[in-house]
Amino acid sequence: MNVVHQSTYYTLYQSVKERCFYVDFGQKLVRMSLCQLLSLRHKVLSISIEDHFDGDLNKHGFEVLMLCNKEHLFVLNTLEVLDLKHLVAQGFVAMGLSEEREAITV
Amino acid sequence: MKDIARQSMSIKVESMDLLNGQIKMEAHASATYLAMASWCEQNGFFTSAKFFYKQSEEERGHMMKIFEFLIDTGGNPLSPEITGINHDYSSIVDVFESTLEHEVAVTKSIHNIVRKARELGDIATERFLDWFVLEQVEEENTIRDILDMIEVTGTEGVGLQMIDNQVGNWIE
Ligand SMILES: [Fe+2]
Ligand SMILES: [Fe+2]
Repeated sequence: MNVVHQSTYYTLYQSVKERCFYVDFGQKLVRMSLCQLLSLRHKVLSISIEDHFDGDLNKHGFEVLMLCNKEHLFVLNTLEVLDLKHLVAQGFVAMGLSEEREAITV
Repeated sequence: MKDIARQSMSIKVESMDLLNGQIKMEAHASATYLAMASWCEQNGFFTSAKFFYKQSEEERGHMMKIFEFLIDTGGNPLSPEITGINHDYSSIVDVFESTLEHEVAVTKSIHNIVRKARELGDIATERFLDWFVLEQVEEENTIRDILDMIEVTGTEGVGLQMIDNQVGNWIE
């Protein structure tokens, strides 16, 4: 297993032997296909971080993230969301599927 | 590092995002034309209604074409959320003028994706869009022809009914 990209809290790995990816969320290591990784990317990049700074739109500053067809559930705070956005954006650049250097919003 | 990602997906994620945006736009066009068909039915333009039913189906076809391309390239096509469909038109002329505006906006959006794909060196996406570029030329031309016909026919007296009948010439 080799590291594709590492952010402050998370690490994205690829496993050549298993032809899949792993995301280390700290408390849990999640196995993912590229499709599931694309779905993670969509969910994470769709999170409006601006809402975290608005007491009405996001009261507690948390996001609930469900992954891999509801197999995993994560509760992330603002810093974790920002870091995960980073991991996803940079991870796809490292995999050669993206040209973006900065995190983008979908 | 062996390239599992590239083996699983043959276009750039930026292209995929733009194509998902285009899926939404085609779905929006499909829903808009259905709303226009409804307006035509309620205002006695029955031939124009048929024209818009057909347009609506075609736009859904465009959407599915992009959807299938994203599947074929290993991407993640998203079922679009469509809101804000206008049902109010002041006249049949207004309906067709709005149609042309809509088509021009779609053309611009497709050209934009072609340019971005070119920038990214995403040749597959660029070539895939060739069909859409030409389709848009045809679609714009059809609506312009109908607007010309409306201009020549005029909306006085039986003009409106004549306009509606002639729209039939553009339903294959
Ligand atoms: Fe279209
Ligand atoms: Fe169209």
